[in-house]
Amino acid sequence: MSSILQRCAVHAERPAFARCMTCAKTLCQECATQWDGIWHCASCLASRRGAIVQRSPVLSWTAVVTLSLLLLFAGARVMVWTAAVLAGMF
Amino acid sequence: MIHTPLSTTTVLDEAADVVSMTAAPWAGLLIATVLPYRFLQALFLDQLLEVGSTAAQYGNLLGGTANMIVAAILLALWGRAVYARACRLALARGTAPGREAWRVRPAALACYVLTASTAMLAGYISIFTIFGFVVPVILAGMAIGTFELNERAGVIAPFAIIFRYTKRVAIPFVLVFVFFCATIVALLNLAAAFELGKWLTGAVGGFDAPNWQRLFTAGNRRYLLILVAGALVIVEPFWIAAHVIFVRKAGAEESGDDLRTWFDELRRTA
Repeated sequence: MSSILQRCAVHAERPAFARCMTCAKTLCQECATQWDGIWHCASCLASRRGAIVQRSPVLSWTAVVTLSLLLLFAGARVMVWTAAVLAGMF
Repeated sequence: MIHTPLSTTTVLDEAADVVSMTAAPWAGLLIATVLPYRFLQALFLDQLLEVGSTAAQYGNLLGGTANMIVAAILLALWGRAVYARACRLALARGTAPGREAWRVRPAALACYVLTASTAMLAGYISIFTIFGFVVPVILAGMAIGTFELNERAGVIAPFAIIFRYTKRVAIPFVLVFVFFCATIVALLNLAAAFELGKWLTGAVGGFDAPNWQRLFTAGNRRYLLILVAGALVIVEPFWIAAHVIFVRKAGAEESGDDLRTWFDELRRTA
């Protein structure tokens, strides 16, 4: 698929310059915005910005942090247990 | 930078370019944050070899070191996240990244801590199987490669993103083998560098050179463990860069963005 032969999704008279990495729309130079090294269209960029500004749900954060701490704690215990078993084998 | 289709060799080639662009100061930051973790791992192994088959009676000693390793891994994970971001910015722009590399999103970092600690736990459990150990190593690589794709904190989403890239799992699998060989090569080079340093100190007065000759030998277990830790630290920037590039290239192939970039480069060179 060549973007050279395609047209901008907003301005049909203009050739495509980039592709939005979120909605895959082809975009001209005016419509394409590079943010953090990735091309976006205006609407996807706005929704992405909104998503970042919006505070992540407390429940998700609590779940991620709790699970990470549990895994790290279990990791330390399993490390010692594995080491003791391996040392006993040799 | 030439953007070529996804393959193990192109990933490794571009990783070398990205590491050279991010060497200062980002690779330095990565090494500084990873060193305590690697040295504590070496200390843990040293203690384990010291106590030998009576390890079960030294739970408090080994447990204390294991707790320190877990604390050090948090610092190492942050350093890896910053370095992975620096690699991605360097890859996108073709130049060394600036201060924006520091700005790692908290949600992405939290997801990375979750996936990396899962990989760590799976690694310790599967260490008995030797070949099964490869799977957690691949998971750890994919965790750092995909961590920036996490927009918000979640328990399932980070693993779902990693799973999306398992269609091309052959490349991370080969990367594990390549980096295993690279670690051995780095280990030999590091040992040779120590030997050279030892030999040079023999020519300079004021140093306790004969004692160094005795300490830096293959017979010294601690020296060997430090060499292995050093080799892992040397290889780590390339490992992270390779996984960031793999994820970017695989994602670009799915969206068709790689073709646009390729045509752009052809037009520029024409």
